[in-house]
Amino acid sequence: MTGEYRDHTHCLEMFKKLSEYIDGELDHVTCAEIEQHSENCVACFSCLETLKRTVAICKNTKDKPVPREFSQRLKEIIQNLPKTTSL
Amino acid sequence: MTKAKNLTPRKVKDNDFDLIRAINSGQVDKFHDLVKRYEQKLYNFSLRTCWDPRDAEDMVQDTFLNVFRYLKDFRYETRFKNWLYKVAASTCIKQRRKSKFAPEKELSWEEFYAGDGTGAPAQVPGWASIPLNQLLNEELSETLNQAIMSLPRKYRLVVILRDIEGFSTIETAQILDLSSANVKVRLHRARLYLRDKLKGYYEHDR
Ligand SMILES: [Zn+2]
Repeated sequence: MTGEYRDHTHCLEMFKKLSEYIDGELDHVTCAEIEQHSENCVACFSCLETLKRTVAICKNTKDKPVPREFSQRLKEIIQNLPKTTSL
Repeated sequence: MTKAKNLTPRKVKDNDFDLIRAINSGQVDKFHDLVKRYEQKLYNFSLRTCWDPRDAEDMVQDTFLNVFRYLKDFRYETRFKNWLYKVAASTCIKQRRKSKFAPEKELSWEEFYAGDGTGAPAQVPGWASIPLNQLLNEELSETLNQAIMSLPRKYRLVVILRDIEGFSTIETAQILDLSSANVKVRLHRARLYLRDKLKGYYEHDR
């Protein structure tokens, strides 16, 4: 990465494809272009890294436990259902 | 669901099928096992989709009642989990109460684009470069959940299904009856929106 990079004509094109890049949904040629560009453009590299991190935070967020009384209520509702699914 | 059928002419393996066959052949008491299997997942999906915890409980309850009602029509052509989320998503969409905090507006990527490199930070900020496990805590989860809830619903559902629930682009498209292209567009904008919220949290709010 060099801070001296001044050709930003590809920044916008790259910006639009970042999610597909992160998800591995782009062809090899486009991936290579993005990798090359982000090696030379700090702004796009930063943009890519923060977006990747956003996705990683989503993927790693923890679930809350089901409140016990709600779970109990659900159980009771189910017990009162008809005795067949084929009505 | 016809769309999904055309796209997936394949044999689906699913650990839930035996249980569903049992329920549909008369062992209705086993429905409780199915509920137990998905109760927590569905509760958290609903919490992130609805605003109010009471609405979330209603959504879980209505979803399971709908599942029970339509289970005999289940065709074993998709994983049960995908079908369950399809029922849940449509239950959610039908819920009348709308969030005051998340108006149904369009997000455009332009509002997240910093421009030709001049407006963007000159280096990767700490929150995106330190190891992830140093970042994850309850407060961050809460910040993320708040940010998700403030997203307009059409984006919220897509990012929850893709990035939190882990469905693929095609699966998400089938669950929401959208095209894959549409899922990708919404996902990208939702992620950009969440990134801005997280950035704000790390740079200003603490
Ligand atoms: Zn760039």
